[in-house]
Amino acid sequence: MSAEVFSLFYQFADVFAFLILSAAGLAIVFGMMGVINMAHGEFIMCGAYVTVGLVNLGVPLAISQILAALTAGLIGVLVEFLVVRRFYKRPLDSLLATWGLSLIVTQSMLLIVGSAVRGIGTPEGSFAIGGYTFSTYRLVLFGCAVAVLVALYIIFMKTRFGVIARATMQNAAMAKALGARTGRIYAISFGIGAGLAGLCGALYAPTMTLIPTMGATFVVESFVTVVIGGANVLLGTAPAAVFLAMIRMALNASYGQIIGQIGMLVAVILIVRVLPEGLSSVLARRGR
Amino acid sequence: MNSRRKIRLALLGALLGTSALGVAKAAEPLKIGLLEDVSGDLAFMGMPKLHGSQLAVEEINKSGGIMGRQIELIHLDPQGDNARYQEFGRRLLNRDKVDVLIGGITSASREALRPIVDRTSTPYFYTNQYEGGVCDASMISMGAVPEQQFSTLIPWMVEKFGKKVYVIAADYNFGQISAEWNRKIMKDLGGEVVGEEFIPLGVSQFAQTIQNIQKAKPDWLLTINVGAAQDSFFEQAAAANLNLPMGSSIKVMLGFEHKRFKPPALNNMHATANWFEEIDTPEANDFKKRWHAKFPDELYINDMGYNAYNALYMYKALVEKAKSTKLEDMRKVIATGDACIDAPEGKVCVDPKSQHTSHRMRLISVGPKHEVTVEKDYGVIQPYWLGQIGCDLTKKNDKDQYTPSHLPNKS
Amino acid sequence: MFKLLEGPQTLGRGKLFWSCVLAVLAGALVYPLFADSYDVGNFAYFLIWIFMALGLCLMWGYGGMLSFGQTLFFGIAGYGYGVLAINMGGGTATIAALVLSVALAMIAAGILGYFMIWGGINGIFFGIVTLSATLVLAFFLGQTAGPEWHIGPARLNGFNGMKGMDPLTVGDFYIEGSALYYVMIALIVIVYLALRMLVNSGIGNVIAATRENPQRAEMLGYDVRKYQLLTFVIGSGLAGLSGALYTSWGQFITPSSIGLPAAAMPIVWVAFSGRSDLTATLVGSFLLLFGFQTITVYSQQAALVLMGALLLATVMLAPQGFVLGIGKLVADRWRGRRRDDGTVMAEAGRLQSEES
Repeated sequence: MSAEVFSLFYQFADVFAFLILSAAGLAIVFGMMGVINMAHGEFIMCGAYVTVGLVNLGVPLAISQILAALTAGLIGVLVEFLVVRRFYKRPLDSLLATWGLSLIVTQSMLLIVGSAVRGIGTPEGSFAIGGYTFSTYRLVLFGCAVAVLVALYIIFMKTRFGVIARATMQNAAMAKALGARTGRIYAISFGIGAGLAGLCGALYAPTMTLIPTMGATFVVESFVTVVIGGANVLLGTAPAAVFLAMIRMALNASYGQIIGQIGMLVAVILIVRVLPEGLSSVLARRGR
Repeated sequence: MNSRRKIRLALLGALLGTSALGVAKAAEPLKIGLLEDVSGDLAFMGMPKLHGSQLAVEEINKSGGIMGRQIELIHLDPQGDNARYQEFGRRLLNRDKVDVLIGGITSASREALRPIVDRTSTPYFYTNQYEGGVCDASMISMGAVPEQQFSTLIPWMVEKFGKKVYVIAADYNFGQISAEWNRKIMKDLGGEVVGEEFIPLGVSQFAQTIQNIQKAKPDWLLTINVGAAQDSFFEQAAAANLNLPMGSSIKVMLGFEHKRFKPPALNNMHATANWFEEIDTPEANDFKKRWHAKFPDELYINDMGYNAYNALYMYKALVEKAKSTKLEDMRKVIATGDACIDAPEGKVCVDPKSQHTSHRMRLISVGPKHEVTVEKDYGVIQPYWLGQIGCDLTKKNDKDQYTPSHLPNKS
Repeated sequence: MFKLLEGPQTLGRGKLFWSCVLAVLAGALVYPLFADSYDVGNFAYFLIWIFMALGLCLMWGYGGMLSFGQTLFFGIAGYGYGVLAINMGGGTATIAALVLSVALAMIAAGILGYFMIWGGINGIFFGIVTLSATLVLAFFLGQTAGPEWHIGPARLNGFNGMKGMDPLTVGDFYIEGSALYYVMIALIVIVYLALRMLVNSGIGNVIAATRENPQRAEMLGYDVRKYQLLTFVIGSGLAGLSGALYTSWGQFITPSSIGLPAAAMPIVWVAFSGRSDLTATLVGSFLLLFGFQTITVYSQQAALVLMGALLLATVMLAPQGFVLGIGKLVADRWRGRRRDDGTVMAEAGRLQSEES
């Protein structure tokens, strides 16, 4: 029996980690900054490729993953400076720009790196409970997801940078008048978002097949999680992920993956219908 | 003097010009239309297919072409988009007026092309192994089909590992029809399908699936999951120490997972194939040498690329025997049952009733270091199933795709 | 009534503009006399997609509703046409199948629209809900490979797609090639002019007012929800028209015409062209479809890179969209020169953006 209970937790943790890690970067870029970043998946892909590349050069996995996230973050700052910067006043156009960017990046990756990259294998081994065996690394992923949530909360709620960043997102002109260097704040925030996407790719790299279009498998889930999280991403994203993970896990377990996928999307439609402002609106009201 | 010389020169020039034109007309190249995805999700499969065709074209042209005519390859990249397959299929057939159309990776792309090809008199070669069952006079299939792959693999797996199988299949036609084949064969063998799971395309997370498998306690797994995302199953199953024998009709020789994953993710995988790069015969080794000389960066020569290579030689054989590039004349050759080529795997012939090809099938297994061993050689197996259920293209063109649960109407 | 062809909501008016329109139309009409039959068919194929783009332009550019669901209704009508054409047995009945399938898409749009608009869903939430609904349909159809999934003799046939329906037919005559081309031209002209009249009418003004400020429009006494629903149904119906025509054109439709990335394509076309105007969308979508196909044919693996670069360059250099950007450039030049002459020719170049 305890094996069954643990297995439920494990499945939940697995989906939860997937949703949080893939959505965390987007929560900042899209949820806070309002940039419809269609290239989100490409930052994930970037993190994964850098990780595998470094591991193949002999760098230990954990260090490769950190370096990969940093690389993605730096590229994010660069992309913000060259492209995204122009679109804060017209967010819908950011969709087109980042989509163009994503086409360029995926296809260039295909041309430069080739279509298939050799995997690196999952670390940490496995453990058994009852009749089941589990991959330890999956629990590491869950731990990382929780750590990312905590880190985000601290950065944006407890630091000076976070206060200024939130002020800038709310009213850039006012923040600027009060002396905030808004340009820099935007660039750093976008960089953090891209870095978190890179981290997601880095963490999932050992468990997945690497192809240039791999980012696409994360994109729908991450947008959906952020959107139903609502306007206050720091409050909303985690409960949104919990909620979607429960639904998906339950349906996956009893009716198979296809119903799990359809069911999650139907749930999204219904949630948005009932709470047009997203989950965080309820939480914020409760909080007051 | 000067002007007369000029006239003479001009005359000579004109003469040479016309004769050159005449020669050019007689040897106008045969046009081969090729549609392979070299961008997008399927690029890693499409690339070897393009290479195979390019290699065959180069070789055939070097050795004098087809009936003395050089061949010209016109390749377009549909980027994995079915609508583009239709656009480009029409473009090649109606504008470039190709003599033969080759290509398509997914079954959906083949089905997108068939209605267009059926309205012309151009032959179409589909060069993948697939779920089988297409009974269409315009189409010649070069790859292996379920009766060649599953009728060999499944009994062997049952005998070796046991009667309980769990199926993981991609949730679309290929996976569902393959699963149907498995059910049918398992029933005949008195085996039991303890679980079937259909995975939507693009899904990359398998923790739940792995647990379902452990719950069902099968003796072995049939893995007919498709695409790069779904291939992540192997890594995740290995990480969770699932450790079950696996069988498949598309792994190893097609997706070269044993080259793409770190060992031992593919340990204990079994497959039946007409081609895999590890085949060790003089003909196969010679073929591999030529391929790698032309494409030194190729990670693996997969069966799709190999079949694409064969398709051009089969076309050459058919045209030269029929002494015509017309589909009806070529089909007369096929009807004699004597449409064969000597391929790197051995002799390959087109079956008159179904226009699918016979193949020499071998059962291979993958070891813990991802080394490939041949377990059993079945010799040549005919694509018999369509003929058995009543598809006979020498008599009637059904233009339909049959499955064990969708058989021709008995009329 | 024809006065409504011009107005504050659409660009282009006066003799010069309409002469250009007529010239383009005349060119389009005589084109098949000169061109290769393949090219004519190919142009007809591009025109099939234009309806979907115009529908989105109406919803997004005029109504302010970013729908990710164009391919949902494209799919409903596309599959609807297939099922109906197979069940009703081809022939002239295919025309009825076309009309009914578009009606079906509009009914579906009415239901989804009612659900969303009366639920107060707007902005990016509108996009996510329509996208989710679209993906649900695509996932569902993708797993209908088995023979048990059929409607009458029409098999849905999963990911491999439905086929076996007749193309549009009158009697024994298949509407294909140049016949299809002329039908498409006629439909485009009708739809384009009808949409111009719609957006310049009183209804169109309310739609635009709702986009600018829903509360204010409501305070002025309009039930904006009804106007939004109307916009949504018309826009989605046009996507349905594209879908039914697409199925008829290729006698084939698959779930990948519905799911991603297909669902993003109409948004790309409209954003590229300039969403705030119908003419820009019409011209731009055609150019983009033509351009993408040409790039793909001639540049092999570099195609996607070039397409991406084209989009990126457009959105950075011409913020209002490619066609509007160029149009404005030309118009400014034109107006500038005329002004020097002392005559203000506003007719030719009333190309101010509608952006607030």
